[in-house]
Amino acid sequence: MKVAIVDYGMGNIRSIASALKYINVRDIVISSNEKELSKSDKLILPGVGSFASAMKFIKGRGLDATLNELVIQQEKPVLGICLGMQLLGMSSDEDGVNQGLGFIDGVVDVFDDDNVTVPHVGFNQVALKHPSLLYQNMQDTLDFYFVHSHKMTANSDIGQSFCHYDESFVASFEKGNIAGTQFHPELSQKNGLNVLKNFMELF
Amino acid sequence: MLRKRIIFTLIYENGFFNQSRNFRLQKVGNIDWLEKNYRLQDISFSLDEIIVLNASKGDKDIKRFATILNRLVDDVFIPIAAGGGVNSIADAEMLFKNGADKIVLNSALYEKPNMVKEIVQHYGKQSVVASVDYINQDVFIKNGVQKIDTPLDLYIKHIESLNVGEVYLNSIEQDGTGFGYDIDTIQKISSEIKIPLIVAGGAGNEKHLLKAISMGNVNAVATANLFNFIGDGWPNARRYMLENNCNLAEWKS
Repeated sequence: MKVAIVDYGMGNIRSIASALKYINVRDIVISSNEKELSKSDKLILPGVGSFASAMKFIKGRGLDATLNELVIQQEKPVLGICLGMQLLGMSSDEDGVNQGLGFIDGVVDVFDDDNVTVPHVGFNQVALKHPSLLYQNMQDTLDFYFVHSHKMTANSDIGQSFCHYDESFVASFEKGNIAGTQFHPELSQKNGLNVLKNFMELF
Repeated sequence: MLRKRIIFTLIYENGFFNQSRNFRLQKVGNIDWLEKNYRLQDISFSLDEIIVLNASKGDKDIKRFATILNRLVDDVFIPIAAGGGVNSIADAEMLFKNGADKIVLNSALYEKPNMVKEIVQHYGKQSVVASVDYINQDVFIKNGVQKIDTPLDLYIKHIESLNVGEVYLNSIEQDGTGFGYDIDTIQKISSEIKIPLIVAGGAGNEKHLLKAISMGNVNAVATANLFNFIGDGWPNARRYMLENNCNLAEWKS
């Protein structure tokens, strides 16, 4: 099993790699190179940074076409994390409206800081929606670590589980080979390691 | 429900971890000592985040600091924030690449606001923690030695205008005393602040942590006290706080 962490030049990729090693994933490549990504069985789209900067990098390198080929045409399993999850959606209003990769029917907008402190940072409870591959053999409500100012909402069924902060938003989704978590599984102790394990074993 | 957080701060200076008292540092041990006395892989199950600060005087040797950071965070699956002497985007990038999930900025908030904005722009506001050292209404930068002309409450507004993600509010007067947090100032600042607030300085035991964490707009309590939470200190503190209905995350096996 070979997994590629898609490197788009931002944030802490090291902690994802180290979490994967911890759950005995041996073959990990960190790359934005099309060949490397093609050779991998699974993709992880990590997530720190701003939506606009990330999309600019992705489009600049032609990574959007590569990801489209691998994820939509070849149906390789992909897990988007935090910003990486948001990038899989249609659009975000961060720094003006920007188009995402458009793989999933979700839109991203900002939390209202009149009602809650923004960013939403810390562990929060996610009501796990079953049946689920990501949460297989896990309890109904669990704590995961979030750190974000923008949230995804979806009008259709994308296998989403919810978290509540000011209002309900998409904490995770899973639809076919495409999955995403708004929280950071690599920073959520045992709960998060279990989610990564499920992604590696069941997708 | 959003949980509150317990944060352990490690003060690093030229190869050593330190106990700080009113910002005077006392060498405790190097990374071998730290790993022997605080197995971070184990105690991270009692913590929500770890902050590592480079308080080296003069040349901060951020490269060496990054190497230590890299070793420190192995197999630790909670967020790590790191900072101290971040003077450029390249410095920030080096810390991110070596295991930091967030960057802590202090003097740059005052001296290089444009660089702060640039880091925020690139890495997102949630990746930036603004550290503020104060005594009463006076704010100090440069490891707490240089007083600036902006009073604390206005300085917090200035920081918010830079669009950073969180504020780490540290009382120089309470620092390392173990007498408890500066509740009066925390009360004042927390009633006005619009972004998440981490309070630091003065915690000597779990009762102090519980008192501050129970305050309305306080999102997290931090302590850099290397002596008071040694051994089973952290697991015991977390258990005590959970028993007292503190709103903390729980990890079931």
